[in-house]
Amino acid sequence: MASPWWKVARSEEVTSAKPLAVDVGDQPVVLWRDAQGIARALEDRCPHRRAPLSRGCVRDNGWLQCGYHGWSYDGESGRLKEIPNMKDEQRFPPVYKAIAYAVAESGGFVSVNLDKASAPPAPVLDETFPLNGTAHVSLSQGEWVDTLFDDPGLVLDIRGVQFTPYLMSELREENGLLVMERFCQWGKLHLPSYATAEFPITLITRTRPDTGETQAVLRDDSFRTLLTAQIAPVAAARGVTQVRWRARLGEELKGRHALALRLKGSFAVRENVDAAALRVLIRSASHRAQQLREAILPATPVSSDPSVSPDSSVSAAA
Amino acid sequence: MLEVADRPFASDTDHTETTAAPRAPRPSLNAVNNWVPHDIVMRDSWFPLAHDHAIGKKPVRRAVYSHPFYIWRENGKAVASEFHPQEIVTREKSPYTDAHGRYPVIEHYGLIWGWFGRPEAADPAHLPSLPFLPPNGGLPKHMTATIRFDCSAPISLENLIDLTHADFLHADVVGDEKSDSEDVEVFYDSETITMVRTLVNKSVAPIMKFFSGIRQPTQNVRQVIRIYLRSHCAIAYGRFSPGDDVPLFHPCTPESRDRTRMEMVMNTSNAGLMFRHVMPKAGYKVSRQDSSMTNPQSPRYMDIDPRKDLHSRFDQAGQRYRLLMMELAQRQAEGDFAYRDNVSADCSDIIGLRKELFRF
Ligand code: FES
Ligand SMILES: [Fe+2]
Repeated sequence: MASPWWKVARSEEVTSAKPLAVDVGDQPVVLWRDAQGIARALEDRCPHRRAPLSRGCVRDNGWLQCGYHGWSYDGESGRLKEIPNMKDEQRFPPVYKAIAYAVAESGGFVSVNLDKASAPPAPVLDETFPLNGTAHVSLSQGEWVDTLFDDPGLVLDIRGVQFTPYLMSELREENGLLVMERFCQWGKLHLPSYATAEFPITLITRTRPDTGETQAVLRDDSFRTLLTAQIAPVAAARGVTQVRWRARLGEELKGRHALALRLKGSFAVRENVDAAALRVLIRSASHRAQQLREAILPATPVSSDPSVSPDSSVSAAA
Repeated sequence: MLEVADRPFASDTDHTETTAAPRAPRPSLNAVNNWVPHDIVMRDSWFPLAHDHAIGKKPVRRAVYSHPFYIWRENGKAVASEFHPQEIVTREKSPYTDAHGRYPVIEHYGLIWGWFGRPEAADPAHLPSLPFLPPNGGLPKHMTATIRFDCSAPISLENLIDLTHADFLHADVVGDEKSDSEDVEVFYDSETITMVRTLVNKSVAPIMKFFSGIRQPTQNVRQVIRIYLRSHCAIAYGRFSPGDDVPLFHPCTPESRDRTRMEMVMNTSNAGLMFRHVMPKAGYKVSRQDSSMTNPQSPRYMDIDPRKDLHSRFDQAGQRYRLLMMELAQRQAEGDFAYRDNVSADCSDIIGLRKELFRF
């Protein structure tokens, strides 16, 4: 089974000015841009004396130079290219290399695959998502995704939006994705949700069963899209989840609540999860999530939804 | 051009086994590429624990491999105990102290040394030779400092004996490493390793220009690193001409197996006034730079990693250091704690000390 592509950075975060340290689970990875502007990824461990390569620098020719003794590596192959002061003897046996990972970039995200031989993901449609951010959450990736299913308000913050416990459509499989739709309200202006007859907005989420990557769409009762967000929760070291997201507003926003989404900071992934509320959150929508994942993963190819990268053979996320 | 030589220090130090009993095979030069320094615990050795001026009537706390050492003075004489005098003792005495829980202690070179190992084996003859320090102490306090390294002691010493990292990590302090020629020699016996690096016409370090007032664009440099393997003590001696003679005592006491304490002494008596006062302080900056690499390195050497470290010929001294430590550790694991080479014999000639500058 092929290993999944993880969206470990937003495009803006990967530069040729400074290497970026990220991780996929407990595997540290260093990212940077080479001289052609191509994003590169190596294991964040120099094979010389095991120092983190992310504490080094990017050279003008695009090689990554370790900050300890200055060994330089080529990003594509991971091969050692230069040892300082070695003068003309810069030829090294093939084992002189750092581990290089497969990198793909599209839709404003840089993705890494720990299996170098993986087929690149198909590029997503060229849409711009100008709003973007990164949140670190001290919750495991699996629990984060389940919380998104059970109460998005604990992990997402959308200006003015109250997520209700009422689903328009419970979690189900659709084109290889886990899809659900939840009723929402604007602020606290309405009756309590249990006594409300009609809801003005809904949140639709489409989640990849392997990586938890989710497209979230906020829609009003006239079927206008108010906001679309791409959310990529990636398991990082020590059980932390790094969530990268990009969002854009709908073209037609009607009503003062919808218009208020134009204000800065109208979408965010929460850095802090209310642990007291989380503990007592009843597993409802997520209850069947694992069964659904297992049903989808070996069988169906994932759809080519613009939010997520299709990949003909995906495996279960760790 | 770099020239590297690597040889046993004296011909009478033979590393081949003469005993008839079959022994485990000695570590090979290849094995050092996945060594596990975290597992190395050296015994039967003096460890420098405190500057003599730091010890008074009130016990201070030190540790060697997490074993507590409480040190204080009784009638002016330094003592070290594994128990605090006020402690209500509820734990077993360790085998490393006498019937009263006292460790062997010696005060020398302005330092308090504690013996870790079998108490009956403690012998002043196993104290490392530091010929640039007055035997009875007395250097001004500003020549001493305590610096901690956020890594294991062997990782810290490997960093010290590897001078090629200086151009990158300490470029702002030492300047670039351009020189007409560079020559590295490594000498070793079963207890020590000494590296001598000679540079001809090296560009003068910014710090030297500033504090020593060197006007010439280049200087000849002779740098020596000598490590006493068992006690994890090192000498770093730089001779700059024109310029100063700066011997540094650089111990790396393993307080725990992942943190190192350095009771540094830098004898700058022969350096210019500015240099004399500022140079010991440069140690703080340099040590933080080193820790930025050695701190993340350290846990990556706690377990055996099947992936071998890569190395270049610039790493010869470091590779040799690893091998010697592994050999010594293996001998200790087999119950052999004897010193086969004398660490207290005057090493002035080995390190090339200008003795006329250091008379006590
Ligand atoms: S550890 Fe990277 S160059 Fe030495
Ligand atoms: Fe250093």
